[in-house]
Amino acid sequence: MTDPIITTSGLGHAYGDIVALHHVDLAIPPGRVGLVGANGAGKTTLIKILLGVLHPTVGATSVFGADPRTDPITVRARLGYMPEGSCLPIHQTAADFIVYAAELAGIPPRAARQRASDVLTLVGLHEERFRYLGEFSTGMKQRATLAQAIVHDPRLVFLDEPTAGLDPEGRDEMLDLISRLGDFGINVLVSSHVLPDIERTCDWVVMLDGGRVLRTGPLEGLTDTGTVEIEVVDDPAPVVAALTARGAEVELDHATILFTLREGDAFILARDVLADTGAGLRRLGPKTTSLEDIFLEEESGA
Amino acid sequence: MSDRGVVFDLGYVPHEGPRLGRLGAVRAVVKDGVRRVLGLRRKARRKVIPWLLFTLAVVPAAVFVGLAFFVGNFSPEAGSPFGGHADYISLVGTLVMLFIALAGPELLIPDREEGVLAVYSSRPLTVGDYLLARSGALAIVVAGFMILPNLLMYVGFAALDEAGFASTLLGNWVDLVRVVGATAVYLFGYGAPALLVATYAKRNGPATGVYLAVILGSTGLADGLSQAADIPGGRWGSLLALLQHPEIVRAWIFGRTPDPGSIPTDAGFEPWASLAVIAAVTVLTGFLVRRRYRRLM
Repeated sequence: MTDPIITTSGLGHAYGDIVALHHVDLAIPPGRVGLVGANGAGKTTLIKILLGVLHPTVGATSVFGADPRTDPITVRARLGYMPEGSCLPIHQTAADFIVYAAELAGIPPRAARQRASDVLTLVGLHEERFRYLGEFSTGMKQRATLAQAIVHDPRLVFLDEPTAGLDPEGRDEMLDLISRLGDFGINVLVSSHVLPDIERTCDWVVMLDGGRVLRTGPLEGLTDTGTVEIEVVDDPAPVVAALTARGAEVELDHATILFTLREGDAFILARDVLADTGAGLRRLGPKTTSLEDIFLEEESGA
Repeated sequence: MSDRGVVFDLGYVPHEGPRLGRLGAVRAVVKDGVRRVLGLRRKARRKVIPWLLFTLAVVPAAVFVGLAFFVGNFSPEAGSPFGGHADYISLVGTLVMLFIALAGPELLIPDREEGVLAVYSSRPLTVGDYLLARSGALAIVVAGFMILPNLLMYVGFAALDEAGFASTLLGNWVDLVRVVGATAVYLFGYGAPALLVATYAKRNGPATGVYLAVILGSTGLADGLSQAADIPGGRWGSLLALLQHPEIVRAWIFGRTPDPGSIPTDAGFEPWASLAVIAAVTVLTGFLVRRRYRRLM
């Protein structure tokens, strides 16, 4: 794993008697990271601690090697933040506000105007840039909110529920934009309770529940079950028998053969067995599970 | 050379130029604050009141200078037909109070109620930076209201003075210092309560109303208390006259006696007591505003 951009150690935060985060240990790598959990899981609290807005009750935090509590200026100079709620002044035009958002990050005025123009084009608001933000639809407001979060070219951007309130088309476009951010070299931490959004945009995931870390790791490893699925045209019995004979653990789910192999490459075994039995292949691939299944499984086991 | 067009997808271009850091951020907040209170880069109706007040503050000075050109020998002194700098500041003081009643809420409330503070919390800016920058924006515009017309009079009358332009300018420099001092007194005396009200109010209109009620009501209360001989310590109640403290200190700065009807003066308080009240309100405001915003940003 490359050097983490965010680390937390024994991190905890409480609002009075209510514990929002409990002993959170994380080492988040660069890239697109999903922060998933139900409402009230502690996602927004974690983001606010990383921004230096909230201070942890216990534990330590580091963002790009700096402590947000003691050195918020250094940390914030590298961050962008798309909050969950509205953050747009209704009496300003999109162009003026995005220029202002860039200048707030220390971008010189002329460069800020150029960057605002570029970023508004990127999020699809170029034509609307001279309209007042109070006249924007929900989808346009979300795009403008994303624009202010990235206009200053941050090294890391926090996106808190970026698809909240969007219709399916708007959600689709927002997820595409988020996916592209990684290609631009901007690290992304997406907080969401919509697990398919995380599956679609992220390559690393942190699962939170009740302020505790349920699971963390690369998404690919999390969703890969290690099981191979085969569907054949005819009777699956000969294939099942051949796989069992070669040491695979086999399960038949209607017409689908599911098997795992303790040692060796399961796909090479599948190829050999199909060739030996002469079975007609309809489908072959790894069996994956959804993030939602993992989350529910972990949550019930926690 | 090919005659076929080529489309270049520039994609995302990272910023590789300089970053101005915290200072740049503070400068941006000040600039935005000035634009906001003057309605610049906002809808036309948001410009009407601030620019009307600003015009009322500046135009008389230009008219006075123009009249002086026709009237002849003139200098901005108390005995002149147009009054001096002290009188002009007194004239503009009411306009400044009305302007601050609108500007104070405009500087703080929309950022808070529209969620814009979340944007500031992801920028290289502290709570103190933000509040000082917003106060700085108010200071700049109030200075425009008070210093600009006085400067116009100062330069204009010097140009018309028979003693010569340069010698009049240099000979009366103390007036400019007094103007700056009086401006600061009005800024703190009227501005601090406005920012305090704006810190706790949710909407601009009611905040303006509450501010005016506090400024005018406290003065009425001070008058009542100072005249009620049977209330112990009623004399001290005269110091509640928030509307009058800047006026009293202005007169002090210009070496004049306070205007008749000054409640604290009539109750026997020296002008420094008014200055102390302004300072105390400013410090209290700073403490309360900072405490509230530390929970928000």
